[in-house]
Amino acid sequence: MENDETRLDEFFQRYRAACPDIEPGPNFMPGVWQKIEARHNFWFVFGRLARTTAAASAALCLLLLLLNLVAPPQSRLSAFSYMDALMADHTAESLYYTEAIRNATSEDQGSPALQQ
Amino acid sequence: MLVEPELIEKARSGDAAAFNQMVLAYRKRILGTISRLIGHPEDVEDVGQEVFVRLYYSLDQLRAPEVFEPWLYRLTVNAAYDYLRRSKRRNESRMSDVSEQQVSRADSLAGGRQDAEDREKGRVREFMDALFRHVSEEDRLLLTLKEVEGLSLKELEKVYNVNENALKVRLFRARQRILKAYNSAKTDGSL
Repeated sequence: MENDETRLDEFFQRYRAACPDIEPGPNFMPGVWQKIEARHNFWFVFGRLARTTAAASAALCLLLLLLNLVAPPQSRLSAFSYMDALMADHTAESLYYTEAIRNATSEDQGSPALQQ
Repeated sequence: MLVEPELIEKARSGDAAAFNQMVLAYRKRILGTISRLIGHPEDVEDVGQEVFVRLYYSLDQLRAPEVFEPWLYRLTVNAAYDYLRRSKRRNESRMSDVSEQQVSRADSLAGGRQDAEDREKGRVREFMDALFRHVSEEDRLLLTLKEVEGLSLKELEKVYNVNENALKVRLFRARQRILKAYNSAKTDGSL
């Protein structure tokens, strides 16, 4: 076992000697800068797109805010006073109940047991 | 260090000429390391370029110029690891890559028999590359950095960002696994 360990260490050393440092080719440096530029362009386009989207969203928010401010808030309620609105609401509620009672009565009158 | 800390500082501040000088200083060493880490000479330059591109875009994250080298090694290991994962997906390693003949040839080399130097080197490379295929990428990278590149435990600590004891355990296990692959190749040639 110890012998194998020594032999393995020897292999590692031989492997180190068998794989010397590599001399880079003439296209190595231009290739590095080309890749840097390519990635830079990608991030540049991505960044510009992100900034444009953010600006458009901000503009839209501002526009909606302005529209909200410009449109008179009372215009929708000007036709009604508070009391009118309350009455309308109450009337609707009363109608609902009276309608229900009316329906129940007409059903009772229509039933054969009551006709006898 | 192969470059002055001032040069690293200049490159960090966006000086392209300083960065160029750094690449020129380290490219040979990094390419050598990559060739031993990945074992595919045809792809070494490509992975090397990737390392320096990553270096360019992450230089501003470097805490201090003193830790530059372990940090560059970390980038190298990560790029090599990514490459190995990609190539593993492309071409799954087969257990039959080491033949009995290769084992006996390499064994005789280790025993001291001399042959033509280039052929010897080729055989050792072939044998070790085949042996490395039988351990995980993590083991291969760790063993190469420690046993072939000769990085100390302190340097490895900085590369892997783990403490010395954890590193020792990982190294021990990795060695056991490669030793097992070596032994089984030696005994029955069935690797």
